[in-house]
Amino acid sequence: MSTTTAPDRPARTGEAVPRATAGAVLGALMRQRLRRDRWQILIWLLCIALLAMFSASAIDQTYGDANARAQLIRLAIADPTIIVLRGLPQGTSLAAVAFFEIYTFLALLAGLMNTFLAVRHSRAEEESGRAELVGSTPAGRLLPTTATVLHAVAVNAALAVVTALGFIAAGLPAYGSFVAGAATAGAGFAFFAVGLLLAQLMSTSRGANGFAAAVVVLAYLVRGIGDAMGTPFGDGTHLRSAWPTWLSPIGWGEQFAPYTGDDWRPLLLQLGLAVLLIAAVFGLQAVRDSGAGLIPERAGRATARPTLGGVFGLAWRLQWPTVLGWTIGGALGGLLAGALGSVINSSIADNPALSGIRDAIGRIGGGGSGPLTQLFISAIFSIIGVLAAACAVQTVIRLRQEEASGTAELVMSAPVTRMRWLFSYVAVGVIAVLAVLLAGAIASGLSAVAAGEGASTFGDSFAAAAAQVPVALVYLGVLTLVFVLVPSWTAPVGWAALGLGAFVGIFGGLVKLPEGVRHLSPFADAPVVVGDVDWTGGYWMLGITVVALVGAAALIRRRDFAIG
Amino acid sequence: MDAVIDVAGLEKRFGRVRALDGLDLTVTPGEVHGFLGPNGAGKSTTIRVLLGLARADGGRATVFGGDPWKDAVALHRRLAYVPGDVSLWPNLSGGEAIDLLARLRGGTADHAQYAARKKRLIDVFQLDPTKKGRAYSKGNRQKVALVAAFATPADLYILDEPTSGLDPLMEAVFDAEIQRVAAEGATVLLSSHILSEVEQLCDRVSIIRAGRTVETGTLDELRHLTRTEFSFSAEGVAQDALAALPATHDLNVVSGRVRFTADSDAVPSLLGALSRLEVRGLTVAPPSLEELFLRHYGDDVTADERVGASR
Repeated sequence: MSTTTAPDRPARTGEAVPRATAGAVLGALMRQRLRRDRWQILIWLLCIALLAMFSASAIDQTYGDANARAQLIRLAIADPTIIVLRGLPQGTSLAAVAFFEIYTFLALLAGLMNTFLAVRHSRAEEESGRAELVGSTPAGRLLPTTATVLHAVAVNAALAVVTALGFIAAGLPAYGSFVAGAATAGAGFAFFAVGLLLAQLMSTSRGANGFAAAVVVLAYLVRGIGDAMGTPFGDGTHLRSAWPTWLSPIGWGEQFAPYTGDDWRPLLLQLGLAVLLIAAVFGLQAVRDSGAGLIPERAGRATARPTLGGVFGLAWRLQWPTVLGWTIGGALGGLLAGALGSVINSSIADNPALSGIRDAIGRIGGGGSGPLTQLFISAIFSIIGVLAAACAVQTVIRLRQEEASGTAELVMSAPVTRMRWLFSYVAVGVIAVLAVLLAGAIASGLSAVAAGEGASTFGDSFAAAAAQVPVALVYLGVLTLVFVLVPSWTAPVGWAALGLGAFVGIFGGLVKLPEGVRHLSPFADAPVVVGDVDWTGGYWMLGITVVALVGAAALIRRRDFAIG
Repeated sequence: MDAVIDVAGLEKRFGRVRALDGLDLTVTPGEVHGFLGPNGAGKSTTIRVLLGLARADGGRATVFGGDPWKDAVALHRRLAYVPGDVSLWPNLSGGEAIDLLARLRGGTADHAQYAARKKRLIDVFQLDPTKKGRAYSKGNRQKVALVAAFATPADLYILDEPTSGLDPLMEAVFDAEIQRVAAEGATVLLSSHILSEVEQLCDRVSIIRAGRTVETGTLDELRHLTRTEFSFSAEGVAQDALAALPATHDLNVVSGRVRFTADSDAVPSLLGALSRLEVRGLTVAPPSLEELFLRHYGDDVTADERVGASR
């Protein structure tokens, strides 16, 4: 006989193998996603809702008068840079102006929340190997992605509701607020699909996150260009977008025209794009190996460059791309400060109806009183200061990541003192702070001079940048001390302190927080460089930075190195 | 001669957990010392104390006569370390990581020789140095750390489960490297729970369990504690003849072969008895370290627990 039969084996005994239904597996996967994300998503949603509420009520307080709002909108239409930053003017009612002021920011935040969510549950899972573990269960390769899509649907539905509630809480009409909420969530879901697709293409979560965030920012800018190229119609307070706006999910969101047109059709565009991209994702996932990217990773060098010769070389090598990114951000902010500062000066300075704007600008960051251009440049530099501080926070978080992942252990087993290790990263942080602010100052000075301002704006820009140095350094110093004392708190404390400090210090004056609360933020205590110059806050912060760093240096030698 | 590593009564607590509970360890110059114990016994914690990454709560630990916590930098000039779970920088290639670690240790001053040592090691370990850290498997990350450790001469090599991700072929390469550095006079502390590895390489071993040293000595010294295993064909051997054999343990007959173990000091008399039975296909196996482990973590567990309870 040519066939062979397997030897008789006893029938399988014991408990029956459970057969999970697809529905039950999907439910389990979705619960896992909701549970893992619950705090993160809650914070995102809260921030977006509060931003909607505070900005809408701030508009009410600053431009309660219909005349002032009409002036503001006409100013915006006259100056495309304001349109690029803000949105599409669609009338002068309080609600329409509020939507004009804040929607594109909300959509930007919704986009980032969604792309991070998409990558977190796809490429990051594959990278860590967890996706393999899940894929070996009856969940297979496609159900986890399905669960991620459903998770995003739920999160964006919640986003639509909380955004609407934020606007309603500020006193805007209910129906229009829900349209605005849908416009925000629709853009968010479209960006979720973008993130999910990029997670298929890129082989690392870092790459996918960076690429996806760039797409979101690009969508913000493209719609800005389209709006700036738009044509006014009606009474001169409405603008019809030009074609570039129609390339951007954020631009589609503007076409909802909440409170004025309440048009739901753009939602079809946003959801249509999402459906197309998600279909592509499932197509790719059916043919792609788990863990592989469609864009392969390039090979590295077989030998290290001479610059990678010590701990500082390592710290720099690991972080220069981040520093470069924030520095480009600082330069863009400076460009804006210089270009807008001169425009604002010529359009607002002599207009009594717009004195509200002037007051508002004087209450940003360290503030001061003086020429409007200088005030405005100083105000924008508060925001560039946030970028510099964010970069400093990232360098300290990098220390924590190095320690937690175990790579620091490899370095510390070599003849390297702990001080040297710690201060190599702190040094990169200091360089980053200076680079971001210097790039901002140079860009601001050049663009102001190019816009016809006097050469003195160059000095103003450098003074405004210098005022932010102690603010960013105090974040670097204090967070370094936090890292030495309680390593696991580094990232949460760093980002929370930066987010709260930036909000309270920069926007606290606009939303009329008590001064006592406002001055808890380093940004509110930045040296005053406009009008009566006062560096007291700066000296204090430099002192605190030095004390914190000395403390960190003393204590790093006293604690164990941790893993995990 | 002063010990390279001298540890006595070492204690380390993490919260309420006693990771090290009076551990002793002595490693003399030029020896390859096996540091054996199951997972969680405290091997890595001991090594972290020896490297000055963790501070002892009690007891004494010296490396080259110095305090590993206070004199870390001076001591680290003389040692090379391979962690048990190697993590690399995701965006640095393996070759870059090797060069970086070698430069940190000042091992690249002799450029040409360093390049030659690195090339030879990369060849024998069959490592692709151009891959990024995130793209390496566990075994390949381990190879990166091993190449980095062996590419720069050191007086002391501290290796924490260095072969746990390597295939048998690479283990042989690793063994050769250990023999090479030992022949050059270096001291090696090799932690492991793989016994065959320690058996082949080590001059002496210390066995630890639950943060304490339970045995220490040369392999010969430890073998007398264990039983020798006998096995021969059961054909033509009468049951009562077997029962009459002196000092046997765990006697059984499986698949036509008689097996039993015997205390080492009973072996000569047993050999005489077996020759009179004219057994065929006799094998006498020396005790493996697996048995040592079984004795400490298997059948002796209850005894240990009694000791623990009465404390």
